Amino acid sequence: MQHLSISRRALLAGLAATPMVGLLSRPARAASGTIRIVMKDLLTTNPEDVAHIGRIEEALAARGHDISIEIVDLPSEGYAEKLNLMLLSGDIPDVIYFQGGDEQIAQQGVLQDLGSLIEGTEHLAPALWPHNTARMANYPYLLYVFPARTKAPVIRRDLLEATGLSAPASLEEWDALLRAIPGIELDGTTVSHGIIAPNNTDEMDAVFDPAFGIDRTWMQDEAGEWIHSRISAGEREKLAWYASLYADGVLDPEFVTSNWEVKEDKFYTGQVGVVMGTAGPVIGIYEAKMAQVNPGAELVLLTPPAGIQAIDVSKESRGFAIPVTTEQTEAVIAFLDFMASPEGQMMDRLGFEGEHYTRDGDTLTPTDKLGAWYPRFVYDNPNHYQPPISPLSDLAQASLQQGVDNFRADNSFVWPADLAAAVDGAETYYRTNVFRFVSGELSTERDWDAYVQGWLDAGGQAMIDHAKAVL
Amino acid sequence: MTRHDREDRSSSTAGNVPNPDLLTAEIAGDSWPEEEFDSRGARLRDGVREWWPYYLMLAPGLIYFALFHYLPVWEAKLAFEDLRIIGPNLWVGLKHFAQLFASPAFFEVLANTLIISAMKIAFVFPLPILLALLLNEVRSGRFRRGVQSVIYLPHFLSWVVIAGIFIAALSPGDGVINDLRDMVGLERRSFMTESGSIRWVLVWSEAWRSAGWDSLLYFAAIMSIDPALYEAAEMDGASRWQKMRYITLPGIVPTIATLFILNVGLFLNAGFDQVFNLSNDAIRDKIDIIDTYVYRLGITGGQFSLATAAGLFKGVVGMTLMLGAHFLSKRLTGRGVW
Repeated sequence: MQHLSISRRALLAGLAATPMVGLLSRPARAASGTIRIVMKDLLTTNPEDVAHIGRIEEALAARGHDISIEIVDLPSEGYAEKLNLMLLSGDIPDVIYFQGGDEQIAQQGVLQDLGSLIEGTEHLAPALWPHNTARMANYPYLLYVFPARTKAPVIRRDLLEATGLSAPASLEEWDALLRAIPGIELDGTTVSHGIIAPNNTDEMDAVFDPAFGIDRTWMQDEAGEWIHSRISAGEREKLAWYASLYADGVLDPEFVTSNWEVKEDKFYTGQVGVVMGTAGPVIGIYEAKMAQVNPGAELVLLTPPAGIQAIDVSKESRGFAIPVTTEQTEAVIAFLDFMASPEGQMMDRLGFEGEHYTRDGDTLTPTDKLGAWYPRFVYDNPNHYQPPISPLSDLAQASLQQGVDNFRADNSFVWPADLAAAVDGAETYYRTNVFRFVSGELSTERDWDAYVQGWLDAGGQAMIDHAKAVL
Repeated sequence: MTRHDREDRSSSTAGNVPNPDLLTAEIAGDSWPEEEFDSRGARLRDGVREWWPYYLMLAPGLIYFALFHYLPVWEAKLAFEDLRIIGPNLWVGLKHFAQLFASPAFFEVLANTLIISAMKIAFVFPLPILLALLLNEVRSGRFRRGVQSVIYLPHFLSWVVIAGIFIAALSPGDGVINDLRDMVGLERRSFMTESGSIRWVLVWSEAWRSAGWDSLLYFAAIMSIDPALYEAAEMDGASRWQKMRYITLPGIVPTIATLFILNVGLFLNAGFDQVFNLSNDAIRDKIDIIDTYVYRLGITGGQFSLATAAGLFKGVVGMTLMLGAHFLSKRLTGRGVW
């Protein structure tokens, strides 16, 4: 009887322990439900997207999450406007990818604070990059776990060698290199200009700003007053240098009417020597296309003269948000956490086995199609996870590393809606006058004071007044 | 006249087609004394019953205008509200108008819109009239049809394509216009980035795109002029210039007046697609118009209430201008839009 009693107790204990064991082998919180996700370039008409989502659902199910993911189709063209209109019509999915226009929504209290939601997650929290952490602290409504979109300058190796100069380190060396490029003959084409930046000087600013002492958006003048870098002494010196490059034909005189396609075309066809591209995949694309157009041509990553422009950490400029209206918050976090896990990263960064890479035992080999695959949801920082093979070339990896090594947080902040017109007015004024200084229509010696006053009148003074309160 | 009389008179016309003369008289109220009808509603009901096939044909157009042009007018109240995605919008009165008018950029944008529109009306509006008059003088039908086909074509190109063509043609580096200037000894110029030339680029690109197509209306008006007038003028020894001056031009004045008034009504529509595609940072302050400002600040920036306020302002000004032009035209020429 005693024996039986012990056996019965053991049986009861065993029965009680069984579900506990089951629970311990699964993630701490199993989530379930249907997630509706709207994202640029994620479409049900793309079989690759549908298959990708399908295998993510299967992987989540294997982890105990009964989550169904439904793609909400939205055209890629004019995505930000169409998304805004969709949300205004009352159709609010459970995961929203914003590419601008999120501030107005967040100010209405429609977006959840993601900081507290991802805190303590197994993979997502440790996958954040330093700039993600800083941005989340300032604006916790968007999450975009990807490398910072820094700009990296590149040049053809044979062109650099033809100048007889080594890769530049200082601003003086940069000046010498850019001036040495025009006139060099490469593959039967004479290189016309040293450098080009499409539409405006933004891409050049990203590389050269720190060399002129512009290390933050908001700087303090000699009297200790906050001023915007747009009207700083460093800006004046920088524009004078750009003007000299423009006057000598080193800076492509048609840069302001060129878009990114024109920039790339001039680069690949040898009309321009140096271009800047977004670090990572874009630099990889430049490298591949250059080799395609000019077989054997290689690119060299150049080093900015004094580090890269400070990274805006006021908020993510794009990323995922979770609205307060959703009942699937737990499922969304489980989904994003899975995407940051090694298994999720394998899927999101390497594509499909057999198509984008092949496996032979433990050895993975990329196929030609890997270059066309791109991660959709999460790209872990390298300290948390690195895939066994990289879809990025060494040059593209180095460009990313350049951004990481030079990371410095900017002190810009999010503007309130009431100042939208002032910010727009000051920015339009700045953009127009930058070209006039660069093209020589205005002189940094003669017209600078008038420019500063014009910028203040166009809305800059209102910006400074607000900045003084914030900073 | 009794109802039976009216029915008898209607039945006297061929088949079911109403006699236009009688119809005109009836509409004018000459033959239907008011006392025969209980009310205006009864009169309408009677009219619909009698002319229902015509009302049926009119219905799709009426429904379209009601749904897409009149109902949305109610939503212009957004200009007086703060938009809320969840819950009702908040009434804020004239806050967005105050914000708009407090911005120095808005008045610059308004000035640009007025200047560009005025330039287009002054230089582009007369071109189709001139083109139609010249085409009318071409005696070879084959040549005229060929010319018409060629000048209509640009109308079917989008502004994206036209912007590409103009940017390439006006390029200071290898643009065909600057190559021609080079050939005649003139210096190369960057028309797309010079603040003095960009508005002219807008005017002439608009003219290139629309002059041919717009001439169609005037050409149709010319075709409707009674040929007997020309024959009589020829018998009186009128020259081709005199026939154009004293017959053709007066014959299309009503069309010119109507289109001018409608153009004035659209005065603040300086051409979003055109400006958006031809703009660049160098000259944005010269060609930034209300529509591009609204798009940038309102649509892209998510400030929908502010954008609606700017749009409403534009609509009210446009309506005022159109009414002003209509009444002025009525007084001066006796003709208006209605």
